[in-house]
Amino acid sequence: MKEKALCNFDLVGGRVVDPYSGMDRVKDLFVRDGIIYSSIPEGKPAEQTFNIKDHIILPGLLDLRVHNRVPGDAQSENIQSLTKAAAKGGFSSILAMPNTTPHSDNPGTIRYIQDRIKQASKIKVHLTGCLTIGSKGIALAPLGSLKEAGVVAVTDCPHSVGDNQIFTNALKYAKMFGLKIIEYPQDPSLSKDGQAHESPLSLKMGLTGNPRMAEELSVQRAITVSRHLEVPIHISSLTSLESVNLVKEAKRLGVKISTDVSAHHLLLTEEAISEYKTQAKTTPPLREEIDRLALIEGLNDGTIDSCNSSHEPFAEHLKQVEFDLAPGGVIGLETTLMTVIEALGDNDPFPKIAEKMSTNPHKILGLDPPSLKAGNLADFVVIDPVKKWIYNTESGMSLSKNSPLDGHKFIGKPILTVSGGKIAWCEDSSLLD
Amino acid sequence: MEAGDIVAMKEWSKNSLLGIEDLSSDEILFLLDEAETIKAQKTTDGSIIESLRGKRIINLFMEPSTRTRVAFEIAAKSLGADVISIAGEASSLTKGETLKDTAMNVQALGADAIVLRHSSPGSPLFLSQIVNVPIINAGDGAHEHPSQALLDIYTMREKLGNLKGKRITILGDIRFSRVARSNLWGLLKLGAVVTLAGPSTLVPKEFEKLGARVTHDPNEALRGADAVMLLRIQHERQQASHFPSLSEYANVFGLGRSTFDQMKKNAIILHPGPLNRGVEIESELADSNRAVILQQVSNGIAVRMAILQLCINCGENQR
Repeated sequence: MKEKALCNFDLVGGRVVDPYSGMDRVKDLFVRDGIIYSSIPEGKPAEQTFNIKDHIILPGLLDLRVHNRVPGDAQSENIQSLTKAAAKGGFSSILAMPNTTPHSDNPGTIRYIQDRIKQASKIKVHLTGCLTIGSKGIALAPLGSLKEAGVVAVTDCPHSVGDNQIFTNALKYAKMFGLKIIEYPQDPSLSKDGQAHESPLSLKMGLTGNPRMAEELSVQRAITVSRHLEVPIHISSLTSLESVNLVKEAKRLGVKISTDVSAHHLLLTEEAISEYKTQAKTTPPLREEIDRLALIEGLNDGTIDSCNSSHEPFAEHLKQVEFDLAPGGVIGLETTLMTVIEALGDNDPFPKIAEKMSTNPHKILGLDPPSLKAGNLADFVVIDPVKKWIYNTESGMSLSKNSPLDGHKFIGKPILTVSGGKIAWCEDSSLLD
Repeated sequence: MEAGDIVAMKEWSKNSLLGIEDLSSDEILFLLDEAETIKAQKTTDGSIIESLRGKRIINLFMEPSTRTRVAFEIAAKSLGADVISIAGEASSLTKGETLKDTAMNVQALGADAIVLRHSSPGSPLFLSQIVNVPIINAGDGAHEHPSQALLDIYTMREKLGNLKGKRITILGDIRFSRVARSNLWGLLKLGAVVTLAGPSTLVPKEFEKLGARVTHDPNEALRGADAVMLLRIQHERQQASHFPSLSEYANVFGLGRSTFDQMKKNAIILHPGPLNRGVEIESELADSNRAVILQQVSNGIAVRMAILQLCINCGENQR
């Protein structure tokens, strides 16, 4: 992809919020050849100056759960639309899940995706490989070869290995290569037919329930296995109150687990599907208010380390079907940051956002967190914290429109996303190619 | 009409019947009264009502059904309408066409109403958002089966009078039953006390939060009840480990003479069919004069005539 790689610019008057580097103050940043300077370097004029008084600069955000559709379903999303949506939503990096078609369970598919990313992406895309072949939970994927091909983590998300022996063997084997393991916690025997959270509402609607137990058993298994094998496990997309409690207790005992939550679970409950709205059919399902509040509390008290978008694009016709036939999953890259800001309900949510959406996800993957200190590669997002706007999927970058937040009023908006030293998104589109 | 049923409603205002849950008690009574008028007309002078002459009704049955489909056909024909029945296995849906496209085609073919039977809960609502012809729900997954509940309630009212305070027990596979749900909403709205009973795997406690009494003891469920509605037990449930075997079910939950005798003296037995003799009910009891199973079927015609007539004519006025 040809691009106008603008990487010489000044940011004047913004508040730099970077708790990882011990910085939180109003400070000008000068970017030259993609590197951050604290004063204007001699002989290197800026091509552009952004006056960003009252704006926030956060270190680059990383989304730990994004579902890439290439190869297999480019009409739902291609690499360009996916990464543009991420950049518009403020993310400079994403972690792509392996449920492509064919599955990302072999080095060939990984190399194909890497090639597409090289051609079409302006942000960093980290790849995962399958834990088991076809994510079927039966035979181990070639984890060593996948690691060699460049995956940073292995997972069967949005599925979970049902057989405990295969699960523990896969983890032992992955540990040998230092591969990060991400567990999507759903006991498949309990969740396989579930169309919605198991509750009086789903009972009334005649939908087969996905019980909290399906997740909690799986969370408990991850905790137990992590403790016995001494292998760190990242548990993705928690939804239930009791899961939060299990993780809290396990962390207290020093078990090496980390967790995240999907942003829409912080804002919505099962009520969103009450009229069989397939746009609100998520994986895992939206649950009840007590769960939502527990997730927010878990985020605040450190039990939950990070927030993801669980961006799952589906072309319009795939969702315009009967509720039980519609695939579960919603898009979220363009709304996650603002959703988390709204859910935290904090006067100054930005230090926490930097921790949960930049520092922690990088650490979880074993990557160096981006820093806004001079000398580092520019990798950050500039946010207008008071901008009021209405999310409209029609004007979004994603090719898919399956968001339960279409029409939602947000406060705060990313206006500039810089990834790896280059501008990936700017509200002023004249600065993009 | 029974004393105590005061219907303030003068006119029917819904062009679709998607479920009982979104009907008011007045609307339920209005429909039942309309069915009563139709039944009286049919039995006294034998004449055919021609209120839907020239109207085209499409029965879109994406799931096997004999009783309901035939009853809707007879009801429509008795009102002078033309009826075309499409079965799922004979339609374009087997060629991969979506329900949305099928429905738009049916509308383009000039349907004045669509009667939909579908395995997906919520599919009638989905359809009503796509086409602008009246949609009559003839059963959607485990969600609702409004015409069945209305004919059940019609039959109960006919036999027991005003249902306020009456004790009605529904016994069997409640979890997967649209009939149980529609009856529950309708009976609660009319002031009945509803007990849901059966194995704990098939009768979730959560129904208590929706207004029902729940018990897994059939004796407790039936003692002093005015009516019992038995629901069909399906073999598939046995395979999914919801209960051990049909004989175990018959032994623990089947309605026999001794359990039936605990009910009120004039208590009645209902069953939406198809019946598993010797499983849900002792064969002899199913043929006794306390069973109103066949009267339910006959009442189903008048009730469905009332539904079609009210909804289609209302839809016409609204268009």
